[in-house]
Amino acid sequence: MYSPVPQQYRKAKLQPADVLVIGLFVFLIYGSVMTAERWNGELQPAFTIDLSYSSLFLYSVYSLFRASLAYVLSLGFTLVFGYLAAKYKTAERLILPLLDIGQSIPVLGFLPGLVLGLIAIFPHSNLGLELACILMIFTGQVWNMTFSFYSSVKSVPKHFHELSDNIHLRFLQRFYFVELPYASSGLAWNSLMSMAGGWFFLTVCEAFTLGNNEFRLPGLGSFMAVAIEEGNTQAMIGGVVCMILLIVGMDFFVWRPIIAWTRRFQLDEQQDDPQEIPYFQKLIQESKIIRKIEGFFLLLIRGSSGAKVSNAKENRTAREDHPIIRQLRKPKSWVSSFLKSQFAAFLSSKIAWIVFILGGSWLSAKLYVFLQPLDGQDWVLILQSAFLTFSRVLFTLVVSTLWAVPFGVWVGLSQKRTQFFQPLIQIAASFPAPMLYPIVLGVLAFFHIGIGFGASILMLLGVQWYVLFNVLAGTTMISRELRDTFSLIGISRIDTWKKLFLPSIFPALITGWVTAAGGAWNASIVAEFIQYRGDTLKATGLGALISDATAHANYSLLAGSLLAMIVVVVGFNRLVWHRFYQLVERRFKFER
Amino acid sequence: MNTPPLTPPLMELKNIYQTFKLDSGRRLRVLKDINLTLNQSEVLVLLGPSGSGKSTCLRILAGLLEPSEGNVFLKGEKLETTNPDVALVFQSFALLPWLNVYDNVALGVKSLDLDEEETQNRVKHAIDLVGLEGFEEAYPKELSGGMKQRVGFARALVMQRPILFLDEPFSALDVLTAETLRKEVLTFWLSKKTSIQSIVLITHNITEAVSMGSRILVMGANPGEIKYTIKNDLPYPRDEKTSAFKSLVENIHDVLTEAIIPDTPEWVPPMFAANTIESLPNISLTEVVGFLEHLAEEGGRADIFTLAHKLMKDSLNILLMAKASELLDFVDTPKNQVVLTELGRSFIRADINRRKQMIHERMMQLKITQMFYQKLLDNDELTISKEEAIQTIHEWLPNENPEDVLDVLVQWGRFGELFGYNDDSETVYIDRGEQ
Repeated sequence: MYSPVPQQYRKAKLQPADVLVIGLFVFLIYGSVMTAERWNGELQPAFTIDLSYSSLFLYSVYSLFRASLAYVLSLGFTLVFGYLAAKYKTAERLILPLLDIGQSIPVLGFLPGLVLGLIAIFPHSNLGLELACILMIFTGQVWNMTFSFYSSVKSVPKHFHELSDNIHLRFLQRFYFVELPYASSGLAWNSLMSMAGGWFFLTVCEAFTLGNNEFRLPGLGSFMAVAIEEGNTQAMIGGVVCMILLIVGMDFFVWRPIIAWTRRFQLDEQQDDPQEIPYFQKLIQESKIIRKIEGFFLLLIRGSSGAKVSNAKENRTAREDHPIIRQLRKPKSWVSSFLKSQFAAFLSSKIAWIVFILGGSWLSAKLYVFLQPLDGQDWVLILQSAFLTFSRVLFTLVVSTLWAVPFGVWVGLSQKRTQFFQPLIQIAASFPAPMLYPIVLGVLAFFHIGIGFGASILMLLGVQWYVLFNVLAGTTMISRELRDTFSLIGISRIDTWKKLFLPSIFPALITGWVTAAGGAWNASIVAEFIQYRGDTLKATGLGALISDATAHANYSLLAGSLLAMIVVVVGFNRLVWHRFYQLVERRFKFER
Repeated sequence: MNTPPLTPPLMELKNIYQTFKLDSGRRLRVLKDINLTLNQSEVLVLLGPSGSGKSTCLRILAGLLEPSEGNVFLKGEKLETTNPDVALVFQSFALLPWLNVYDNVALGVKSLDLDEEETQNRVKHAIDLVGLEGFEEAYPKELSGGMKQRVGFARALVMQRPILFLDEPFSALDVLTAETLRKEVLTFWLSKKTSIQSIVLITHNITEAVSMGSRILVMGANPGEIKYTIKNDLPYPRDEKTSAFKSLVENIHDVLTEAIIPDTPEWVPPMFAANTIESLPNISLTEVVGFLEHLAEEGGRADIFTLAHKLMKDSLNILLMAKASELLDFVDTPKNQVVLTELGRSFIRADINRRKQMIHERMMQLKITQMFYQKLLDNDELTISKEEAIQTIHEWLPNENPEDVLDVLVQWGRFGELFGYNDDSETVYIDRGEQ
């Protein structure tokens, strides 16, 4: 008869994969212990970084831990809020705009407030600082994950819901067996991207100055900062190598296997990419410990849903008859059906408006208090800076596009080249450019390029990969048949570019621009204001204003510049990107 | 017999071989020793099941693919670049969504550097030919499938090239639209009012082949090769219901049956006969059961193609079902007939458990199962990985797609409780019954 578990799983001895999994657990425990020690240690705002390699290892562990904790937080947020937004219209109307705003505003600007606030709450331990860092990283990771999860859950085909109703799946079962697997592929991919984005925030948040205070957390980012300060080349190289190892390690050991594993949950059995199963994943598949964990989860889910999912009459009546269950049943369903109703949606949008107006007024009042001290001159400065930073962002977009489009299309047209370059580009996109800023500035200074223009180059460094990545993805989707047609008609190379390649990648290019622009605004806060060996290099720009205000604890100026940045970003979003997306929807969608 | 054509051939393929590299380095031979000619004023049809390399042949003829071995000739000269005399129409239309009908068609003359007026004339003329006047401003997403394909044809016609290649052009359309378009294509060709001298059509539909083709090349799969050439001298336009048409279809049926389930298998030297490993056709057991049951309803004996027609199934598909049933000894296939054997009858009458047993027994009679079973036994844990299984099958059957064969082996094996397969770990194992 059918044997559910093949022979090899019945063996007692440990597989090599189990060793790795045990190793992972050991690492987790070690990391947790070290981190907990730090959190409970005496408040030490400016940690003294030791530039030896042995400390480097410890710092890397700390950094990895912070990024991972932030990720876990993001994941939790995603699963809860993404799910709510997908399931309940009320929640959707409240949550989506908030996500949109969250993703547009330059969160780095809020770092000082967050830090001060948290330190006030935890005056005697490092916990405040660490939490601030983790929360900052969280804000860099969470938005795209939530959007992806929300849209995946929303697009689960109707017949799955009908099926779930029909076989009386409980909420958790439906979530675990239907919705989560469906969303897993998008979630995995976005997690990869989020972690990558997280590194940027991590390195910036680990070492910064606020007013007269220097804050430094032990970690890879601060290690690099100090190494650069002291001009310790050996340490710098060590830091960069370590960072690359971390990124590659996570990519190879964590994300690739997860992404490959989630492919099995994809509904459309596309035989698209013929990537070999990651070696590491093969090992993991053989790990018994992971199977045990999965079994535990299943038990949890089956257990929590009461008895079996059978339709058997006896079981049903037995459960329904139980007094407590009867009590619990009614109110819950009333609440949930209310939440789902159209009326609730209508009400909620009205409520949302009221909240928005009230909250907006309250915020504006508070803001006014902050902004009062600023005089006309200050505002002029803010406007000028906004204009300059805006031009820098445009500069990064233009230059990225100029080189990323030819290169990206060239790579994308050949499967071999794509397979070679794609992982490299992914790693380059993940590497936090701010780590290298002082070095690059030094090089630029050699060519007599000051920070005014230099800041644009620095911003470019980090964000050009987003454009490249998207162009590459867009090119790989151009159908063989279209290319054959152009070939056969005998259309010249130039015309093929004009008529086929460029229009085909247009949707992907827009996505690349949006992501790059967002990254550039965030980067400007770090790129326009650099403190190096006692010197402060300042460009005229909104980012510099924000950092400068932070450094001098000038909260009014900070509030003013932040406001300006938000207005420009959101305004540009609505006016420009929105239009582009509509154009793409109308004219550039390939349909079958 | 064949009279040699009075004019030299338009195109020739000589000794063409094509191998593709699958991922992980395995090579699959897709075309074997293809020799064909395309003459003036003919409609050449490449007819065959999927996997017979028809599209690959077409791409080689069009100069879009360089053959692994062999040569392509255009009007006697070796073809080194993309073919300047060919226009292509695809199954999936291949239209640019950001261009309207006019611009999509105009694309066809982009390489010719015509002036504005000339372009307009040609484009308008092509659009009129396909009956899309008035739709010049429409975008592809506003058009139905049939209209989209008309745009595809217009684009091909505007190029005014002598040869037209059609790659399953009507497969994505509904039956009625396909009918209409077929007639229209033949009309352009016959009227000689367009530049088209000859057409190469790829299809898996026998009726379409006979309706349109003046010469039909029947191709076999694994590896792709030309099995038979059939001339069709019926006058155009052709009527499906005439007896001449029907007998030609019969003829092709015979030919196809021979190709797929030969009465006399290819001659194999006696010492190797015992070792010939049968390939398993890509048919599920549910299909076999259905096939047998229908056959039983017909009294246990039927003409394969009549049966196909009754079941409204593709003839090629039915042939494969017959082949599968024959492998399992449930039917005999003399010529075009399929006859239920005693074993077949008892299979139908049996209950599910008995059926499983019978499949188990029948499979064990097949060389491929025996060898595969042996391979599993040779392994300590009585398992082999999917990778290894595919590698092994590829060695035994170099002309088949090993993944497909493994799929069938596993599917039948699971039913017969011979093998099991665990997708999580991607291993095949011997089913040893309840532990």
